[in-house]
Amino acid sequence: MNTIKLYLHSMRMLLKSQLQYPASFIMQTLAQLVMEGGEFMAVILIVDRFDKLNQWMPGDLFFFFGIMSVTFYLTECFGRGVTGAFPGMVRTGQLDTLLIRPRGVLTQVLCSAIDPRRISCIAVGTAALVIGCQRSAVQWSLLKVLLLGESILCGTFLILGLFMIEAVFCIYSVKSVELVNALTYGGRSACEYPIDIFPRPLRFVFTVIAPFALVMHVPAAYILGKPLFGWPVWAAITTPAAGLVTFAVMYAVFCRAMRHYRSTGS
Amino acid sequence: MSSYFSVFRMRWKMELQYRGAVIGGVICQIFFGLILICLYRALYAGKPQTMPLDSVVTYVWLQQAFFRMLLSSDSELTDKIRTGAIAYDLCRPLHLYGYYYARIMAQKLLGSLLRAAPMLVFACLLPRGYGISAPVSVPAFLCAVLSLMSGLLCVCALENLTMGFTMRTLDARGMQALMNLLMMTLSGNVLPLTLFPDSWQRVITLLPYAQLLDSPIRLYTGRYAWTQASQIIFLQAVWLVILIALGLLLWRANQKRLVVQGG
Repeated sequence: MNTIKLYLHSMRMLLKSQLQYPASFIMQTLAQLVMEGGEFMAVILIVDRFDKLNQWMPGDLFFFFGIMSVTFYLTECFGRGVTGAFPGMVRTGQLDTLLIRPRGVLTQVLCSAIDPRRISCIAVGTAALVIGCQRSAVQWSLLKVLLLGESILCGTFLILGLFMIEAVFCIYSVKSVELVNALTYGGRSACEYPIDIFPRPLRFVFTVIAPFALVMHVPAAYILGKPLFGWPVWAAITTPAAGLVTFAVMYAVFCRAMRHYRSTGS
Repeated sequence: MSSYFSVFRMRWKMELQYRGAVIGGVICQIFFGLILICLYRALYAGKPQTMPLDSVVTYVWLQQAFFRMLLSSDSELTDKIRTGAIAYDLCRPLHLYGYYYARIMAQKLLGSLLRAAPMLVFACLLPRGYGISAPVSVPAFLCAVLSLMSGLLCVCALENLTMGFTMRTLDARGMQALMNLLMMTLSGNVLPLTLFPDSWQRVITLLPYAQLLDSPIRLYTGRYAWTQASQIIFLQAVWLVILIALGLLLWRANQKRLVVQGG
């Protein structure tokens, strides 16, 4: 509990410090808005030209885009320490100072950065979700609301876990490894669309290795009333846990890797 | 002129030093290409379009291969502007605009060639429907190469213009993010321009962003007949003149009111 309190406290302080430069903040937030808006526009244009994608109607596609967008940028906003700042910490030796404090390294890394500009991306994602729900005429129930929350929460853990792969590589090689982007950013680009449109090898990658499909698509498809692969309700309830599993595995790997950490020492 | 050429050569050599980073980048880019192609294949399965699927696939591969040309990447210059080190460059007996133009061009040309070569080889080896198809004809291919070159000249001029604005605002991030977005969307990287609504295409293809990659690719896939090439290259030349003129004006104005940061 103490850790969570500490995290919230650092977030508040970081947010305050970021808002000291309002003009720069607003401009960058706008730039982010335009960026994510551009991605959304691509989906709208695709829908405009192709009408539908297999059994998925326009509203469904907006919904899938929205859930990915909200989850991914929530992670980038509150997990900035892992998703962006970590390689720099290793390179500059800043990580050393975290080792001498009486807290876990990961906690401190998470507490070290926030990226409030992403709020505009999250807004675009939310808009996509709302439009998607309306156009697909989703019948809401308490279970579905809980499922959506569960999916987004587990999704943030999944994405954190995937970015931790890069962090682990970074501990060993100092340089950040661009290849991991294929899983993180590649996963975002691919899984903005439902998994069943992809051929088998890609499905395997995004179900087993980086389980975006289990965490987001299975519950989302249930919410939309078109269960993926005809799986029952309990599947939609349990599969998002794959995100937590990914995070737990990567956390264990991360702790092992930290034992091998040698400071850049300059 | 020879001094600008040696700036170009120096930068070229520097880019060659980072071959390791290129491999990771190429694999990543190929993966992104495959994802997009699978998406378009699924879309086409539902509702075929007038533009054949093979052209879309070729479009995606060429976009991914020359992706590096679009990204604004000279972080050294933005740092110089922020720290004030740009004052040293003002002492050089060179025209500042030309100096940076040569640098940016070396970076973009080599950066994209190094990545494009292995990617296009890979894309050729893929089975039909996933791989890149051959250009429609030999003259079309030559015209495409020619217009790719003048597209490169355009994109360098465009980037120098952005840098000119950066000198005014000092904070490159907002401007650059906006620029990158316009570049990605309007040059067809996010979604092939050929899949935009037809009425939009009529306007978008006239903008400078479409000159970079979209026009050469359309020549390659035969969307534009190669006999039209002279018109396209004329349009590119017009944009080139406009962009360079604007850039020169802006840079000259900036040099007069330049406040060097730092100390």
